[in-house]
Amino acid sequence: MAVPVSYYVILSAIVFITGIVGVLIRRNIIIILLSIELMLNATNINFVAFSNYFHNVAGQVFVFFALTVAAAEVAVGLAIIIALYRSKSSINVDEFQLMKW
Amino acid sequence: MTFSLTLTPADLLLMLPELFLTLWLCVILTIDFSLPRFPKRNLAYLSVLGLAVVLANLIWFDRAGMTGTLFNHMFVVDRMAIFFKIFIVVTTILVILASIDYVKRFKFFKGEYYFLVLMSALGMMFMASANDLLSIFITLEFSTFGFYVLVAYLRDDPASNEAGLKFFILGVFAAGLLAYGISLVYGETGKLVLSDIAAAPATPGLIIGYLLIFAALGFKIGAAPFHSWIPDTYHGAPTPVTAFLSIAPKGAAFAILLRLFFISLAAFKPAWVLLLVLASILSMTYGNIVAIAQKNIKRLLAYSGIAQIGNVLIGLAAGTKMGGDAILFYLLTYLFANLGAFAIVIAVGNLINSDEIEDYNGLNRRSPFLAFAMLVFLLSLAGVPPLAGFIGKLYIFIAAIKEGLYVLLIVGLINVVISMYYYLVVVKKMYINEPVDNSPLTVSAPMQAVIYASLAGTLALGIYPQPIIDWVVSATMMFSHIVAPATAVAPSTALPFGG
Repeated sequence: MAVPVSYYVILSAIVFITGIVGVLIRRNIIIILLSIELMLNATNINFVAFSNYFHNVAGQVFVFFALTVAAAEVAVGLAIIIALYRSKSSINVDEFQLMKW
Repeated sequence: MTFSLTLTPADLLLMLPELFLTLWLCVILTIDFSLPRFPKRNLAYLSVLGLAVVLANLIWFDRAGMTGTLFNHMFVVDRMAIFFKIFIVVTTILVILASIDYVKRFKFFKGEYYFLVLMSALGMMFMASANDLLSIFITLEFSTFGFYVLVAYLRDDPASNEAGLKFFILGVFAAGLLAYGISLVYGETGKLVLSDIAAAPATPGLIIGYLLIFAALGFKIGAAPFHSWIPDTYHGAPTPVTAFLSIAPKGAAFAILLRLFFISLAAFKPAWVLLLVLASILSMTYGNIVAIAQKNIKRLLAYSGIAQIGNVLIGLAAGTKMGGDAILFYLLTYLFANLGAFAIVIAVGNLINSDEIEDYNGLNRRSPFLAFAMLVFLLSLAGVPPLAGFIGKLYIFIAAIKEGLYVLLIVGLINVVISMYYYLVVVKKMYINEPVDNSPLTVSAPMQAVIYASLAGTLALGIYPQPIIDWVVSATMMFSHIVAPATAVAPSTALPFGG
């Protein structure tokens, strides 16, 4: 194998942290959703790399399921965002502060 | 490595409750869209009928001692899984009965509501059986998808939309953490089945992986410091969904936590006890102190729920079989008391269209039954004898004392006193304050059934807990190998909890 597994882990860590930072600092819900997709895709990079390293298909199987879960998440998420946009005409998270303790 | 999958009908029998429920929820959905004139109320009774069959099936499994694993140990049926499935099905039945009046207020999608509730219940039943990191991830997401939609179900209500948004963003964020944590654990061990990853040495990747998994599950159960979604989501969601969300997913997540900590992480017990002690103290103290300031009954119950989860974590921190028994028992007491309290919030909300604590003034004059039931449920949540909550708290504190966790005992007792204060404020408003409006309130039949069932559960578990204690003790028999090194003495038989 030409590329050592540690390179993949570093790449996935960078993608994952980009995703976390995106969720925490961006205010547009669509961008937040994209950042969460980055987090899940970082997971997929890890799984494919480890699966290859261990010669074990369990990791690849996980990737298929993770992709399915991500797709389902986007479907539900976009539906919620459309409902929100209808009521507020905005998809900025700072606009949604109806409830505060 | 190749996967070999050999399935016989006898193996599939282990999945009978899930297979039946899958079939049944398809039937519910088909009836809903193909027979538009079919009364939606009957869909609720049809759902309850299906769940009753599942419940009977699970009780049969429990009596017959049916156990086994499927799909390369991804799906396990043992007595603990059956316990949690019964827990989830009972919760779902009571929630559906409590929803019937509330669903009448929906402008559309009345039938799909029952479908989504059943689908979430199905996902949680799979969670109770998850024995592999892959099935943990899938089942956790499966059960949560239904809840994302249910929380945002009141499409015209901005509060419900906002609750859905907050729940969704934090939920998928937790899913991302969980998936990444699992990938790190897989990278360090090359395996996914919980019992296979137990032998791995502690490496930095493994520790980070487990911490991420714990954070995701902590989000799921709403333990501090991962609780930030709870108050707003509980407040904005339709009240029956709040009731469901506050009980069933917690039980299912504790099934996963018990397996993860007691099977995979048994060797690292000294390390995680500290983590759980901190999470428990933080949850109890934060939940109880913030609950004092609440004006809305749903928010009050949300914060009290965070504190209750802190109590349950004491049992996990004890890390013994007795701790596991105490968790199971406590969750049952929490099920009846919390569901009962929410049933009354639903009933009162349907009648006076308000969830503010101020509007509970003089509830005793308007409906002595509702006020008395609420009193019983709140006292059980606070842990007053002879109600269920008292035995639950006692059981969990004894498990902590046996492990020498006196800090948790002291913090727990202080918190019992704090929680007594805000529960009694509600009681005072119901019994002493004068009502603004004196008109009597009447409760519908299905709601009465839910309240009576919860009252019966709360009283029975408090007055005669022995059969249930025997049941939970036998349900966690697989953890009997976990003996604390410090206290290898046999549990005292003078207590009712001879484990």
